[in-house]
Formats: sequence, C-alpha cells, structure tokens
Amino acid sequence: MTQPTSITRIRVRYSKGSILRFTGHLDLQRIWERTLRRSGLPIRYSQGFHRRARLNLASALPLGFVSDDEQLDFWMDGSTPLKDITERLVAAAPPGLEIQSVQEVDLSEDALQTQMKASEFVVSFYDQQDPAALLEQIEGLLAQDEIIYVRRKKAYDLRPLILNLEIITFAAGEPGLRMRLLAQPGATGRPDDLMDVLGFPNTDYLIRRTALFLT
Amino acid sequence: MAQSSTGSLQEQIERLLPTVVKPGRYVGGELNQAVKPWESVQTHVALVFPDIYDLGQSNLGMALLYDILNQRADIAAERAFAPWVDMEDALRTAGLPLFSLENKRALGDFEIIGVSLPYETLYTNFLNILDLGRIPLYSSDRDDAHPLVIAGGQAAYNPEPIAPFVDAFAIGEGEEVILEIVDAHQAWGRSNGSRQDLLVQLAGIPGVYVPALVDVAYHPDGTIKAVTPAHPAISLPVGKRILAKLSPPMTRFLVPNVEVAQERVNIEIMRGCTRGCRFCHAGMVNRPIRERSVDEILTALEAGLDQTGYEEVSLLSLSSSDHSQVIPLIEGLRALLTERQVNITLPSLRIESFTEELMDILQSLSPGGGFTLAPEAGTERLRNVINKPLSDAELMETVRSVFEHGWKSLKLYFMIGHPGETLADVEAIADVCKAVLEEGRRIAGGRIRVHAGVSTFIPKPHTPFQWAAFDDPEVIADKLSLLHNSLRGSKIKLTWNDPQASLLEAWLSRGDRRLAAVIHRAWENGARFDAWGDKFQIEPWQKAFEDTGVDPEFYSTRARGLDEILPWEQINAGVDKAFLLEDYQMSLAEETRPDCRERCYGCGILTAFNELRLASPGGGWKCP
Repeated sequence: MTQPTSITRIRVRYSKGSILRFTGHLDLQRIWERTLRRSGLPIRYSQGFHRRARLNLASALPLGFVSDDEQLDFWMDGSTPLKDITERLVAAAPPGLEIQSVQEVDLSEDALQTQMKASEFVVSFYDQQDPAALLEQIEGLLAQDEIIYVRRKKAYDLRPLILNLEIITFAAGEPGLRMRLLAQPGATGRPDDLMDVLGFPNTDYLIRRTALFLT
Repeated sequence: MAQSSTGSLQEQIERLLPTVVKPGRYVGGELNQAVKPWESVQTHVALVFPDIYDLGQSNLGMALLYDILNQRADIAAERAFAPWVDMEDALRTAGLPLFSLENKRALGDFEIIGVSLPYETLYTNFLNILDLGRIPLYSSDRDDAHPLVIAGGQAAYNPEPIAPFVDAFAIGEGEEVILEIVDAHQAWGRSNGSRQDLLVQLAGIPGVYVPALVDVAYHPDGTIKAVTPAHPAISLPVGKRILAKLSPPMTRFLVPNVEVAQERVNIEIMRGCTRGCRFCHAGMVNRPIRERSVDEILTALEAGLDQTGYEEVSLLSLSSSDHSQVIPLIEGLRALLTERQVNITLPSLRIESFTEELMDILQSLSPGGGFTLAPEAGTERLRNVINKPLSDAELMETVRSVFEHGWKSLKLYFMIGHPGETLADVEAIADVCKAVLEEGRRIAGGRIRVHAGVSTFIPKPHTPFQWAAFDDPEVIADKLSLLHNSLRGSKIKLTWNDPQASLLEAWLSRGDRRLAAVIHRAWENGARFDAWGDKFQIEPWQKAFEDTGVDPEFYSTRARGLDEILPWEQINAGVDKAFLLEDYQMSLAEETRPDCRERCYGCGILTAFNELRLASPGGGWKCP
C-alpha cells in the first residue's frame, strides 16, 4: 500500500471528568476513536477489515478515578493547523472529556507508554477526617521498609513505588492526600491499593490524577 | 472538594457505585443525552426498559420515544433500567430508590412511567422496578401521589397478563400516541380531576387500552365468557395505532460510555412484512408494510455517523432483502462505508430473495463473516404448514451459492413444536443440516462449519396459530434428543433454547388477567431476569402456579377452541380474526398463501387503515 506524502503525529492533553469516572481504559479508547471519527479529521486507521483508528493512550487510569492530566497520541494524514485540530476536537469531544492542549510531536518519538515515569494523584475524602490521625498513619506507612500488598492473588511490594506521599489541605479546610507513584512497565503503583493499606475502602474517597511525568 | 455523606440521591448513589460490577451502567452522561433542569419542564416521563442498561440502551423503540418526547420543551424524558442483582442489593441495603440516569431522580418523582415491553420475559423485572421505585404494583393501589404507569411494545398486544399492574397500554406504534398521552395528562393536571378521570380520558385516545375500565367474566371451565366495558365511555376493541408514513429516522443516538449491545447506527428501512409466516407475531401485528426510500436511509446513515462516530451501521427490518430497492440501497451503502471506514450488519435476509448480485455485494461487504439462513422447518410439507414455503432444491441452491461465494460458516435456524409436526419432520432437520455440510465440503473443502440453532415454537396471539397448543414439554424433550442422536458425530454444532424458558414464554404470551397473580407470586418467589439463560429458573414459577392455584397447562398445552373468546380479543391488531382463522384452516390442509404484495388477500389491515392511507399519501405502503 502506498503511504501518503506526510503523516502527522498529534499529542492531546485532556482531562477526564466525573461523568467518565466509571468508564474504564478500553471504553475510553473507544470513546477517543469515536471522538476522532466525529471530528472529521483525516485520521489514520489500522490495516485489516475492521479498521480501528490508530491511537495510543499514555497510561491506563483505573476505574473510578478522574483526571486533570491525561495524554494520547493519534496519527493523521497531511498537516492541519493545530488551531483547527483543537477546535474540531473540542467540538467532537463528549461530556466529561476536555481538551487542554494539542501539539505536534516527532514521528520517531517513543510510544507514550514507554515514556511514562510516574503519576501524581490527589485523594479527597467524602467524610470528615482528623488531619493529625491521618498524618500519623502516613508517617507510619512511610517508615516501613516494605509494604507487601496482595492484588488479585499476586503479592507485590508497594513501598518502592511510592515516590512521595503527603497531607494537603483543600480550600475549604479539609485534609486530603497527595502522592506521586512510579508508573513504568512492570512497576506501576496503584493509589487505591495504598488507600486500602491505610484502611480506607473505595467508597470513602475520590482519586484524581493531577499529573503525568514523562521522560 | 470533599462531599457530604448525606447529600442528594446522586451523591448517595455515587458512593455505592465502586462496590458494584460495571458501575458505568448507572451514571448516564452519554454524548447526545438530553438533560433538562428538573424545574424547567411541566411533565417528567421516565422511560423504563426492564432489563439492564447494556441491553436496553440500544433498543430502538425506546430511543425513538426519548427523542420525540425531549423535542418538546415542556417535557423531559429520562431513562431507567433494571439494576443488576448486585446493584439491586446495594440499593435495598442502603434504602435508596431506583432512579433515572439523567437527573438521578427517584422513579416516584416522575408524573409518567413509560415501560417498554418488547417481550414477555421482562414482566418480573418490570414489577421489581416498580417496587424499587416505590410505586405500588397494582394500578388500583395508586393514587394522585403516584406516577401514571403506561406500557407499550410488542408484548402489549396481549396486555392481559400484566393488566392489573398497568394504568394504560399504548397499543401499536407509539410515536404519535405518546404525545397525546402526555397532553391528556397535562389537561387532567389543570382540571383538578380524580385519577379515575385521568384513566377515562386516556381511554378516549385511539390506541390506548385502560384495563381497569374493562371487565372480564369467565365460564365455569375457565374460558372467557364476556369482555365488557366497565365505563360508558369505553368502546372495545381497542385498535392499534400506526403511522401512515414512517417519520424521518432518528439519528441522534446516545453513545454509551461503557460497552453495550449493538453500538451502531440503527436505521429502520421498512416496517411490517408481507410474507405471512403463520408463526410470526411481528409479521402479523406490524402490518402494513411501509418502506423508506434509499435516499432517506442513506442520508440518515450519514447523519447518524456524523453524530455518533460509530464504526458500524445496521439496517433494521423484518426482512431486509424484501426492500423493493435493496440492490441500489446496498450499492449506496458500499460507497458510504468505504469512504467512512465503517462496517455493516444486515440481518433478516430471506432465502428465496437472494440473487447472485446480492450475494456478490454481501460477500464484498463482509468477507470472512458467517452467513445465516432460517428455513424454520426440515420438510417441504411442514414449511407449507407454517407458510414459509421453500423447496429442498431452492434451499440447497441458496446454500450452494453461499459456499461458492466464499463463506465458510453457515448457521441454520429451525423451530420444533410446529402444529402438526411429526418425528419425521424433526429427523429431517438433521438430514438438511447433513446435506448442507456435505455440499459445503464438496464446494469448499474441510473447513466448512455448519451450526443448527433450534428453538421451540410458541403459538402467539394475533397469529393464525393462536388457537394451536404449545407442544407438550415431554414431547419437546423427545424431539430434542432425537435431534441430538441424529447429529451425533456429524461435526454439526447444535444449540437450542431451554424448553422451560419457552414454556414460560408460552404462559406469559397466551395468558389472561388471572395470570397476573402468578407473575406477582413468581416475583415474590425470587424470579428476576427471566430472559437470561443463566438467571432464569422454572421453580419460582412452578411454585407460583401452586401457590395461586392457577393451572399452567390451561395456558400452554391447551389448544384454544375456535369459538372461544381469546384473552387478547379486545385488542385489534388490524388483522381480522376471520382471516386468521381461514389461514389456520389452510395450514391444517397444508395450503400456502403467497406474499401479499402481489395480490391482496383481505387480511383486514386495509379496511382498518385505508382512510389513514388515503389521507397521507406517499407512505411507501406495499399493499397492492
């Protein structure tokens, strides 16, 4: 098959709001494919009979989380001004998906997943928390050499995946948590696992991813 | 940022969601959803599909009504579905009511609940939803504080088994009558009338059946003695509503944020069918046949793709290959699909309507896919009885063409339990399958797969077989084991419907008003999701019949007397009883009746709707 004269690789930074909180990673990929189709941009498809849009999400966001900072790459034919691409994506995006920025990146760059280093998360609680007790808990946790956690019958050590864990105070005065966890192939920390270790069931809090760190 | 623990219903639900499977079913928020501020509209309608979101969201009937209602500025239509068992437990434990997806309002907050009933095995879920919505199950227990509960859909052509639970049924096509019902409700609201006044006013709308205003009396043997209006304003029978011309197709489909069945642009290309298969409920009750033009269909498909971004389209009808412009239609589709990189599904193709040309196009549209044919019976004789005439030679010719065009996998649908079926007819199903496999191997070699899907025939109301008996469950079991033995070692895959699930469907579709007590009791006994193979259990139903003292066989295996008043006779689907009876008698004589597009056999539909047809010409009617 002949290739067109130019292919452009576009990186989108976007947020995933509470409407899409319970939309998982695979479903989010389908949402993106349909958004790209609705945009009318000349996107590139995979080969084969059932054509899929060629796209690549940086890092799976667990079910139940919201995010301020997600990233994806997609590929399209020719070159369209970034301003037009942005406008079309904004118009095509469904409720809950907000386009933050659009840029062109080099075709030879590594896949986004390969570039992932770490993620930052902020935890807010539904019910009143005592900041002092919370502080004591996380200090106790960080003092441990290893934190063995069993997820789906597989044990792993959470401790080396925690780059940072701290208490924060929201504008209304109530306490929350901020954590930075490693996010590399085979070494990705899950904030909900950490919350489980701290004794909070997943009905007690909401987790927001606030930043992705790439190489 | 943190939320209060005792907030709105929405906040309380949100906290439950991490504990249930696939919480994305319960949140709404999809692209093209219509959300209106609650206080901004006069009438709130909850459209309910009594199965989970994953199945109900793609239901075209419900999507149409949602679109029609929400186009009115004074109406908000919201959606509600059956919660899966874990969510039902979570709601009951937390003491929360079932809610709508848009504004997360309890069902009891709505003025009108509109329940979609495309098939009968949703009835226990329907009761469960009323209960979870804290709405009294019985119409007679509801007062002005409660919503009006209306129901419609194909199952409503026999409303009687659920009559006591429903305030009003919309019979037939709902597109127009739904707005008339809302208008009547609004007028009643201004009038300060009683709930009884509302019911009487609703009963005055053509196509609306209010069971509380109709009395049924019985003979000592349990058959119906008389059906009479219980109010002077009522006239019987209630005739179904139809559209003289199909309205432009709805294209603003909701795009779910979690995976559901049939995520695609669904465009109905025609309504009704003229083939006259005697077992087919849809073919009888959806007359007359009305087509959409190729232009209208293609324009709608494009608009649908623009508005959804879906990667698949489907053409819906009872018999797609019977569309008078099927070749231009599919040619137009092919151009569109290549340009858009989307796939197509084209269900419901008739064996005898395949041309070489159609086969060529279909193969190019979906290479590698499977092919499906529905001979329905194994012998020419029995195919004549059910009026789906097809010679063995014609069948084999189509099969040959399928394999010659490159398909490697063929699925054949059959039914057992047809009236007058013998064991030789059943044996013939196996013979046909073996002959098909042999033919496939001769043409295309060893990698051919043949799959036989066998279901049990249910004599449905408003069809020529409405008088026939449902086959005895023991006989069905014998026929199935005969098929098993005949196909053993043949490499033909055999799948079949659970005969007990068919038995339930027979009770529910052929029942009268007295069956309501059984349905209620079965629900109390734990029956839920009766349409789900892995959830359906016969025991709660058997116990419900025992508990209520109702004889199940009176409804299933009993042939109805030709002079009997049938439970669904106060509903007029437009096809005359005399025509159905004549057709039934023809079937007993193994006589067939040709497709009625060529000449009219006077089924009654033109008599019932000719005025409507003449008043709005250009409806694409295929009646001669």
